[in-house]
Amino acid sequence: MKRLAVILLTLVLALNLAACGNQQTKQQASVLEKDWETILKEAKGTKVNFYGWGGSQMTNSWIDNYLAKRLKEEYDITLNRVGMDIDSILNIMLNEKQMEVKEGTIDVVWINGENFFTAKENDLLFGPFTDKLPNFNKYIDKDSVEVKYDFGFQVEGYEAPYGKAQFVMIHDKARVDKVPVNHEELLQFVKNNPGEFTYPAPPDFTGSAFVRNIIYDIVGYEQFLDMEPKKEVVEEAIKPAIDYFKQLKPYLWKEGKTYPATIAQLDNMFADKEVVMTMSYNPNHVVSKKQTGEFPETASSFVFDKGTIGNTHFLAIPHNAPNKAGALAVINFILSVEAQASKYDPNNWGDLPVLDNDKLNEEEKEVFSKIKIGEGAIRQDVLLEHRLPEMPANLIPIIEEIWMENIPAKGE
Amino acid sequence: MKKMKKRSLFFTVIMYSIIFLLLFPLVILFVWSFTKNWPWPNIVPKAFGLRAIKYVFSPTSKSLKTLLFSVWLSSVVTIITLFISIPAAKALGLYKFKGKRLFKLLILAPIIVPPVAVSMGIHVTFIRLGLANTFLGVVLMHIIPCIPYGVRILTNVFEIIGESMEMQARVLGANPYKTFFYITLPMISPGLVSAGSLIFIVSFSQYFTTFLIGGGKIVTFFMLMFPYIQSGDRMMASVYSLIFILTSLVLFVVIEKTVKAYYKAENYFYI
Repeated sequence: MKRLAVILLTLVLALNLAACGNQQTKQQASVLEKDWETILKEAKGTKVNFYGWGGSQMTNSWIDNYLAKRLKEEYDITLNRVGMDIDSILNIMLNEKQMEVKEGTIDVVWINGENFFTAKENDLLFGPFTDKLPNFNKYIDKDSVEVKYDFGFQVEGYEAPYGKAQFVMIHDKARVDKVPVNHEELLQFVKNNPGEFTYPAPPDFTGSAFVRNIIYDIVGYEQFLDMEPKKEVVEEAIKPAIDYFKQLKPYLWKEGKTYPATIAQLDNMFADKEVVMTMSYNPNHVVSKKQTGEFPETASSFVFDKGTIGNTHFLAIPHNAPNKAGALAVINFILSVEAQASKYDPNNWGDLPVLDNDKLNEEEKEVFSKIKIGEGAIRQDVLLEHRLPEMPANLIPIIEEIWMENIPAKGE
Repeated sequence: MKKMKKRSLFFTVIMYSIIFLLLFPLVILFVWSFTKNWPWPNIVPKAFGLRAIKYVFSPTSKSLKTLLFSVWLSSVVTIITLFISIPAAKALGLYKFKGKRLFKLLILAPIIVPPVAVSMGIHVTFIRLGLANTFLGVVLMHIIPCIPYGVRILTNVFEIIGESMEMQARVLGANPYKTFFYITLPMISPGLVSAGSLIFIVSFSQYFTTFLIGGGKIVTFFMLMFPYIQSGDRMMASVYSLIFILTSLVLFVVIEKTVKAYYKAENYFYI
């Protein structure tokens, strides 16, 4: 009996692996060699599994109500959104890679930064595929730093831009008269309003961005772009900024003895009027939060004079995506003027478009300029003028570590 | 008589305070489900809205479909776990054998060992067996953390009811199947309900394991809810949590009533 079971299991296993193996090699080799028409034909009537962060109702609604609907109409593609945090997605992809699963579950993954680096280093991604996409060739500035690099890593066609984000500060106009436009004014402001300001403790994504932004404001950003990822080097470079944080600390919420662990907590504290400022890596965050009614009508965003950090978020295709043709069609559609404009509309999502303005014709430019950005958000051209490049991802954990060692513990 | 009354008053007060402490958080959840913002120092929320309710009930969010699927998945897990637990619990509760204590302890292992570490390994194995991303795979994965609850509760039940009734039935000529269905099952039914409820909740609230083994193909209600809790959208999180709690609650009451009616049992339930 036992032996029979073992034999059966082995058989099932062998068949499974063999079956997957055959299918995949065929598709893999050919999908990038086919012309676009054939790819679209293959994508027709298929299902595409779209994996990415699912914590924003507006983003989810945009994908479910707009993107999925339009893809069905246009290409007869059924889009299945799976809201999952990127760590779990990477886990699945890594395990599948380890077991050499030839046909995975994920077709499109929403990714950037360190996670993209991890995925690419481990050969988890399919590509380079971007030059296969007609809309990428037509609308995207391929030489732009933001398309070629993702947190300092070379993209090399393994992911296509999805949208742009930029760090902004958010304040309540009813309770803040004059916004601080650099780190010195911020310090002054916090000294005058003790207990009314704080930031999420790194390694929270937004809190970490705030710390980097202050570092940029104090010591400039240029030196970091090709800095050696060594602790002593980084420590030396950011020393003035660390001193600044030490100065700031006693005037923070709870005297800086504790920090909100996540940006979600800070947002809720701002909504509950416990603090007068919050921050976001999404420039239209304030608009969507006002639409959902969480933030007061007087909430508004601002940037520092020297600028704030911006990054691009991307879409990639796992190496074992079961429906690569469908994935290509979906990503191409997302890069269309129509989809990018709909995504930019703050009533839908409010994510900055990635298309190159110079490559749009008058009509297409008109589509974007007609969109009214929400009350409290900053105009796109102002944002772009104040946009600083993101640090190479391998410096970020070092900075977070230095912050951890110097700020929360000291001075107790 | 007077003394009795006094004592019962005392207990009534205690009972109602406990009920209040249990229910009050639910009331807060209910209020937050409709609350846009609630800044300090307002005692009642400043603005109300239906955004979250509308989203949950809109067909594109697939919330209700997922909820039904989750209930189905967890029910399957509950039934299978109970089937496995009954014989194990009977053995641990009634029989004497070497290493019984060790087994009792080992049964708890799935609770003691961190599930994250184990499930990573299981995922790899399941990929090899073709069980990853399947309904069956997720069911099997859920059974693991559920078994300790099932076995431990039923072990206690078997210890309480003992073996004498079953023996009596056998002496009177009933075969083992008849004994089980007419004697054992009715006697352990209250225990089954409490064990089943707990197993259901454990399975219903599995997050990481469902994610990993289900790979996003098997989507449960908890997986829809969790990102909103993480991102701090209190309105969405409250609505989802409320539906989550109410679903289990309604289910338990229905099952308890059914079982009670079926066996016309008067005895108390170990919930």
